[in-house]
Parts: sequence; C-alpha cells; structure tokens
Amino acid sequence: MTIAHLSRRTLLQAGAALAASTALPTFAHAQAATAGGRLIVAADSEPKNLNPAIVASNGVFFIASKVVETLAEASFSGKDGLSPRLATSWEGSADGKSVTFKLREGVKWHDGKPFTSADVAFSALKIWKPLQNLGRLVFANLEDVETPDDTTAIFKFSKPTPLQLIRNALPVVSSVVPKHVYEGSDINASPANVKLIGTGPFKFTEYKPGEYYRLTRNADYWNKGEPKLDEVIFRVLPDRAGAGAALEAEEIQLAAFSAVPLTDLSRISKVPGIKVISKGYEALTYQLVIEINHRRKELADVKVRQAIAHAIDKKFVVDTIFLGYAAASTGPVPKNAPEFYDPTVPTYAFDVAKANALLDEAGYKKGADGKRFALKLRPAPYFNETKQFGDYLRQALSAVGIDAQLVNADAAAHQKAVYTDHDFDLAIGPPVFRGDPAISTTILVQSGIPDGVPFSNQGGYASKELDDVIAKAAVTVDTAARTDLYKQFQKLVATDLPLINVAEWGFISVARDTVVNVSNNPRWAVSNWSDTTLKS
Amino acid sequence: MLLIVIILTFLLLESASGDAVDAYLLSIGGGDAIVAKSLRQSYGLDQSMLARLWLYFTSLAKLDLGWSVAFGRPVLDLILERLPNTLLLMGSATALSFGLGSALGIVAGAKPESIRDRTLSAVSLILYAIPSFWLGLVLSIVFAVQLRWLPTSGIETIASGKVGLARAADIARHLVLPVGTLALIYMALFIRVMRAGMAEAWQLDFVLFARSKGLSRTRIVLRHVARNALLPLVTMLGLQSAAMIGGSVVIESIFAIPGFGRLAQEAVSGRDAPLLMGIIVVSAVLVICVNLVVDLVYTALDPRVGASENRA
Amino acid sequence: MRWLRNVAGTPEGAIGLGILLLLGLIALFAPILSPGDPLRIAGQPLLAPFTDPSFPLGTDRLGRDVLAGILHGTRTSLAVGIAAALAAIAIGLCIGLTAGLAGGLVDEALMRVVDAFQIVPSFLLALAFVSVIGASVPVVVVAIALGAWADPARLTRAQVLSIRERDYVASARVIGMHPAEIAFRQILPNALPPVLALSAIIVAAAILTEAALSFLGLGDPNVVTWGSMIAEGRNILRSSPSLSIFPGIALVITVIGVYLFSEGLNKVLAGRRGRV
Repeated sequence: MTIAHLSRRTLLQAGAALAASTALPTFAHAQAATAGGRLIVAADSEPKNLNPAIVASNGVFFIASKVVETLAEASFSGKDGLSPRLATSWEGSADGKSVTFKLREGVKWHDGKPFTSADVAFSALKIWKPLQNLGRLVFANLEDVETPDDTTAIFKFSKPTPLQLIRNALPVVSSVVPKHVYEGSDINASPANVKLIGTGPFKFTEYKPGEYYRLTRNADYWNKGEPKLDEVIFRVLPDRAGAGAALEAEEIQLAAFSAVPLTDLSRISKVPGIKVISKGYEALTYQLVIEINHRRKELADVKVRQAIAHAIDKKFVVDTIFLGYAAASTGPVPKNAPEFYDPTVPTYAFDVAKANALLDEAGYKKGADGKRFALKLRPAPYFNETKQFGDYLRQALSAVGIDAQLVNADAAAHQKAVYTDHDFDLAIGPPVFRGDPAISTTILVQSGIPDGVPFSNQGGYASKELDDVIAKAAVTVDTAARTDLYKQFQKLVATDLPLINVAEWGFISVARDTVVNVSNNPRWAVSNWSDTTLKS
Repeated sequence: MLLIVIILTFLLLESASGDAVDAYLLSIGGGDAIVAKSLRQSYGLDQSMLARLWLYFTSLAKLDLGWSVAFGRPVLDLILERLPNTLLLMGSATALSFGLGSALGIVAGAKPESIRDRTLSAVSLILYAIPSFWLGLVLSIVFAVQLRWLPTSGIETIASGKVGLARAADIARHLVLPVGTLALIYMALFIRVMRAGMAEAWQLDFVLFARSKGLSRTRIVLRHVARNALLPLVTMLGLQSAAMIGGSVVIESIFAIPGFGRLAQEAVSGRDAPLLMGIIVVSAVLVICVNLVVDLVYTALDPRVGASENRA
Repeated sequence: MRWLRNVAGTPEGAIGLGILLLLGLIALFAPILSPGDPLRIAGQPLLAPFTDPSFPLGTDRLGRDVLAGILHGTRTSLAVGIAAALAAIAIGLCIGLTAGLAGGLVDEALMRVVDAFQIVPSFLLALAFVSVIGASVPVVVVAIALGAWADPARLTRAQVLSIRERDYVASARVIGMHPAEIAFRQILPNALPPVLALSAIIVAAAILTEAALSFLGLGDPNVVTWGSMIAEGRNILRSSPSLSIFPGIALVITVIGVYLFSEGLNKVLAGRRGRV
C-alpha cells in the first residue's frame, strides 16, 4: 500500500502536465507555484474574538500570534527563558514599582504606520489591564505607562509587583495592538478583533467561516529574511479524525495541539513522510486535576481526600490514558517549571489498602453492598483524556467503596454546574500552568473568589495559612524569596489536598517531514513561526 | 405553527444550564465575575425572559432574525452563508438517493419475492442500520486516505483561486463522499418504500386488468406498477426533508463542511439562542417549502389525487 | 397473542422475531453471562479479539472487556429504543385520539402543535435537548421521544377519523355508550395496530439516534451502550477497527431484527385490512 502511494506521489510531482489536473493534491500545487510555500495547518476551533490582547488563550494565540506580537516570547536558551520580540530589554526597579521596557526600532504595523511606545501604553492601559482575562490579574496594580520617547515604555505600579511575575507573564499577556486602529472606538466590538492588524511576520488576509483562516507573508517584517513561508493557512477541521486523515492524504502539513488523537499516534508515526513531535509545549503545560467540593461533609475530611489520592494509579493514567505522553504530578506546579518546582512535597502512592484504611479511619465504613458513600463526578468535556480519566476514576473509586456517578454535560453546562452552581462533589478539570504560579494556579485554591469564575477555587476550600502565603508572594519583589514562598505553597497544597493533581501533559504535534523548524521554542504552537519553512 | 416552534425553542434554551456568557468565558480560558456581568449586560441577558421573547418577536416581524451572540454577527448573514452548502449537500443526496432508490426499488419490486428482490432488500436493510457517522468515516478512509481518489474533507480546495467551471468541478469532487454517504443511507429507505409500493400495486385492479390484456411485463412494470408506487415515495420525500436536515449535522462535522447542521451544533454549544431560533425557523420554512413542492409534484404525477387518498 | 403467531407466520416476521427474542434473552441474562460492571477495567488495554480466551472480543482503550460491553449494551440499547418508542407512541396515541375525537378547535390546535414538531428536524431537537438538559439515559429517551411522537399522533388521528364513521361505532353511539367508553373500547383497539407497526421503526430510529448522540459526545457515561462503544472506538478506527465493528454489527443486527419484525407485522395487518 505504501509503495503504491509513493510511486503515485512521485509521478504526480514529476508530471508537469498533470499540474492542471484537479486530482493533484493542494500541497503540490502550492509548492510549484511559490518558493516559500504554503503551510496548511489543522485548526479545530474558530475563536469568535481573535484579538490576543483581549483574549489570552491558546486557541486565539494559535492563529493570532503570527500576526500580533508580544513584547517577548518564551525561549529554550534565552536569558530568563525569554527571547526579545517587540521589547529588546526590560528592567525592574528595586522597589518593584516600575518596569522599564526598551522597544525595538524600525518596526511597522501592517498598515504601514510606525510602531511606538504609545501603542504599548495604549495596549497596557486600555486593553491588558481592563479587558484581558489574564492581564486583569497581572496588571491589577498598573497605574500608568510613561513614554519618555518612542522606544521607551515605563510601567508604573501602585504596589510592588514582582518582576519575576511580569517576566513570566510576558509571552502570554503582552500582545501589542495598534493604538491608531482601536482608539476612540468600542474596543470589544472593533472589526479589527477579527481582521487583525499587528507587527508580526504574517498579515491577516482572509477568513472564511467554517473553512479557513489565511495569513500571508509580511514583506516589511522587522527581522529581515523572515518569515520564510509565503502563506499559513489554518484549515478548520472540527472532527477529531479529520486532522489525521488530512495529514495522511497530504491535504495539510501540520496538526498541533494533539489534533491527531493520542490513540492514533503510534500508527501514524509509522506512515512514511510523517513525524510525531512532543517538543514545543513545555511552557504550555496542562494539568489533570480533581477538583473537590469541600462543602460535602465527607470530602471536607482530609483523610478522605488522601484516600482518594491513594486510590489513583497515576502510572495507569500516564501509560494508558495518555499513552506515555504525560507525567505523573506531585503537586500544583509542574516539573516543566524548574524555577518553581519542588519535588520534596508529600506524595501519595497507589495503595488501595491504605486508601481503604484511611476511609475506615475517617468513619466511613463499607455498607453491606460494599459501598461507603456516593459522589457526583463531573469530568470536563474539553478533552478526550479528561473524559477517559472520568471513566477510570469511577472505577478506581469503586475499588475503595466510593460509588461515583458520572455526569456528562457539554462545555457550557459543565462550566455553569461546577464554577457557578457548585453542583458537583468531584470534578475533573484541565487547568493550565502559565509559567508562573500567580497567573492561573494560585487561583485554584485561594479562598474568596466570587462565583462564576471558571478555573478557580469553587469548591469552598479556605485555608488561612495558604491564603497568607499566596498574598505574601504576590507582593514579594525579591525573586529568591518569592520562589521560596511558592515552594511553601506547593507543600501546603500537597499536604492538605484542596485539590488533587494527577498528571501533567503537553500536546503533540504531527507534521509532514517537509515542515522544518518545528517546535524550536517552549510555546512553539502559539509562537510566530517566522523561521518555519517547507522543504521540497 | 412557527410561533409554537419559536416559543418551544426559546423555553428549551431558557431552561438550559449555562448561558452564552458561560460558553464564551470557557472558550477564552477564564475570566472574572465583572467581565461576566458586563458581558451579560451587553448581550441583553440581564433582562427578563419575557422582555427578550417580546423583543425577538417584534424584530422577527420585521424579518430581522436578530444578532448572534456567539458569533457577533447578524443571524441572517450567518444562515445565508451556510445554507447554500447544506442545500447543495442535501439536494444532491436526495436526488441521488431518490433516483437510485426508486430505480433499484423498481428492479426489486418488478418480481416480488424473487432472489433479486430479497438480495436488494437485505442490502438496503443493512445500509439503513449502519450509523451514518461510521459509514462516513470508513468511506473517507478508503477513498480519501488509502486510494486518494477524493479529498478527505471540506467543501472546496482552500484558497485555490478557482472560478467558474473549475470551481464547480472542485466542489463536486469534495461533495462526492458526503453526498455518497448520505445517499447510501437514504437510498435504503427509498428502496424499501418503492418496493413495498410496487408489491401493493401489483394487486390493484387495473394492473390485474393490464396483465389479463396480455401486455408485456416490462410495460406493465414501468407504466402501471412503478408509476403508482412512486406516489408514496414522493410523499415520503416531503416527510423525510426534516429528518435530512437533522442528519446533516453529523455528516457536516465529519467532512468539515461549513453548513447549516454544524452551525446548529455551534449554536447549541455556544448557547446562542437567537442563532438557534433563527436556524429552526429557517429550517421549518424550508421543510414547508419542500412539502409544497412535493404536493405539486404529487398532483402532477397522479391525476386522481382524490382517489388515492384512501390509501395514504 | 394471536397476532404474534400470525407475525411469526410470515418469513420476515419469523426471522425478526427470532432475532428480537435472542436479543431479549441476552439483555435479560447479561448479568449472568458476564457478571460485574461492564465498565470495569478488567485487563490489558487494546487486546486484539480472538487472542485471549478470557476476553474473546478483546479489550478497549482502558482495558474494558468488549464482549461484556456488547452483552450489557444490549440491555441499554434495547431499553433506550423501546422506552423511547413507548413514550412516543403513548404521547402520540393520546394526542391523536383527543384530536380525532374532539374535532373542531381542539383538533385544530393540537394538529398545529403536531405540525410544529414535524417541521423541526428531530435530530436537531434531540441534540439541543440533550445538550442543554445534560446527558443521561432518561434525558436521551425523552429527547428521542420528543422528536418521534408527531408521526404516531397524526396516524392515530387519521385512523380515528376513519373509524369514527364506521357502523359499529355509530351503533355504539346509538345504544348510548359513554364517549370515553367508545374511545377506549371501540376506537382505540382498532386504531392501534398500524400505529404499533410504526413503533418498530421508531425503536430502530431511536437506537440509531442514541448512537449518533454518543458520537457527538452526548451519551450517558455511567452505562455502556453500543453507540458509546462505536463512538469511542472510532478514534482508533484505523489501528483497532474491531472496537467499533463489533458493536456496529450488534447494532445492525438489532435494527434489522426490529425492521423485519415490523415488516411481518405490516403484512399481517395488510392481510387483516384486506379481510375487513
């Protein structure tokens, strides 16, 4: 079968006369027509608002990061794990109340206007701080942005704000959009939120809803010689089987974010011309977490929570559900964040006998039917793996006498049930670790969060000790002291188990061999792809 | 009638857990309570249910289907953008399945209880019982991935710049698999109805009379039996049109066709009430139109509409 | 029970009845044939079929026994199909009977509601219903029944209208029988058979609809159904096709059984109508 394929493909590429035939794969078309080539990528969702300055989510970045750039991007080798983009350097003051950015010179917006510090000030004050989902937190104390000249922006904070946090947050929260386009209009309703205007290597050219997004080469890009590609096309493929099939049929060349299901990877990796890459998601770690409703009397008992942790075979979860493309978690900070990660926290080995003993100790003896009590378990529907872990957890809990009833709901209903109505006992969620615990991790266990905030502590857990550590870290400017506080934070969480961290995973990219310079930074899928090329 | 449909849809979404804001916040990976409140305000979700229903009716009276919350665009635009793809898909699938189904039904019904009849019946039964998504996936693997005769998905080659006939040919190639999948499944239904109709028609007086006159079998089959059996088939076409629109949801999702069914699915998951109501209103209008056409065809086919009503 | 014997007398009916009986037995004895929770993780994940005698049909992604899933799935799939059909028929009969007997404004109003449900694509309705209420077996049953009751209602009404004018009903009226008694003693039994024939098709459609809903991720995760097995297996359709093929075969056999049975029923009814 494969040999037949190869010979057919060779024939097609060789036969110039065939170039006009409609039977020719699109891919061959593109290569014949242009030098840099057209990269076609699978996209599984169509964000309604594509503006990364407002919506800091991976779904948006996947497309928008090629058009709109941030001040800095994550890097494997750069200082502080960053490589400069629109900012060339950054420096914090000793009191933690100001950060000075030096900006790149000679950068132009896609509409030809020059990029200046005024754009940065506008983005920070009018968008990141008031409108952006993550920026509201990071820039909560931002008072003003001073612009002494066109290439300097000085961020002024009302309270000490750790430079470590700002630095770690830069790749996620600092997308700069043009002031002259947004000023004086309703920013949330601006047409430029879909038809993006940025400084990036690609210009936003076309969007056909339900079909594709098309980005084309920005000839005036500040980094001469880049981008290498002529076009990047995001083709909408809603069905999970679609990306793998389209890759094999050479209709697309890249599927990121595990668009090819894990279960299909071992097979597709054997298809000639296709490579499976697990690198490039180090700064986009997703965590498999059991959220616990502490309002349930049984779950308010730490022994019960420890029993649940002991009942879970993390090795099974990693090997069977994630097929090895994940790591077992020890606590709320993933191993991929070595700056903060603390391996010395208490751990819970898979031990059914111990789990049973703990539950007996807590006073929940097995009834005549072998059951201790019943729970409502809600797995988040966003990933295959969260749902499968739900199936597994139900079985694992029944082995220790806890009868868990799974509740399946679509995304909106799940979100309402767990984060607003608290109609759950256990929930399975996939929060994201975004480079710094203060961005989206502490919120998972901190008390006093209003109802309705997704991916936050809605289980009613409250610990003064933990809250104090979180509050102190938020205003600690010294990097070492701050890091230390987050190590304490990890110990507290792993000891008291306000939630149970089970596993952490990055995504998988599958690409044709022709795609070069894939996964060369820790946020590759959501970076700007300016050096990515196609070889023929 | 449409009014009932709209109110029912509205109540259904009203009772839903989670609203458009929940769905949106999720898609952006979180937000806080202030964002949620201001969004609800701007979507008008903070108003009472009756106020919103009233607002919807008054704008509907002006043929305004409202504003899609999830897409941030007028509902009518969205629907008009997707409708042609679905019409093309359903139209071709219906035509193909109707044509093939009635032809094979004639072949089967020409000699009821023959081997040919039994084989065709069995095949059509199996086709009918296969879930459409499964058939679609298998066909796509065989013809698009392994044989590479056809594209795996999409409505046309993306950004191909093709125009006119070349574009039409391109779209046709993309539609072969989804149309084929749908047609195979609906064909099963048409074969069975046609065959049953034929079997019944053989018993009718004028067919018996024609046979006694010694007319050739082929002539009887085509002129008398088949023609009569076609009538319930046409009726069925009208009845099935609503089911077909529903069936397109799954097929459009597998073959990544930006159509009506997928839009409906997105409307539901985005809790986009105006969009879903718009979709249901338009599909209801569509079904009514199809049935009008069916009635016309019926009259044209059967000069004795009154006489045949007893059978229906 | 005479009609059942008549149905078994036709070749289609005999085969259909046989298949259904077998499935019924499997559904009934599933807990004995394969004890324990079918969703239990029982062995190595992704064992190929026919390799391990303790898992004749292999295991799935998480190591659950495929055979156990299919046996227990018979229960839920049949239960969903039959419950949905019963609900649809019950609603349809009530509405159709009321409309047909009451006539006038009531009839008009009820038939508009029937129209409303008939013009809304039933799968869209089920999809919307299940997504907003939440996926569990009862909800799925109600969702399917909601989309399926309009046809039996219309058919019942048509039957009632034609039966109402028959001699025996007229004579019952003449001898002063109570209208409700006429409805249930005279009209209902005669209107029922064609509606029942329709029910077989509804059962088949319901099983398929449940499968399609599971495919879109809207099944009940606490029980195993063939639809959910197929939906889960399709992610590995390429590497382990058997995971979706086995439940697929079970689904096809059931739908065929139901369909053949209804054909047999139709034949018997047609024969009876011929005699009347």
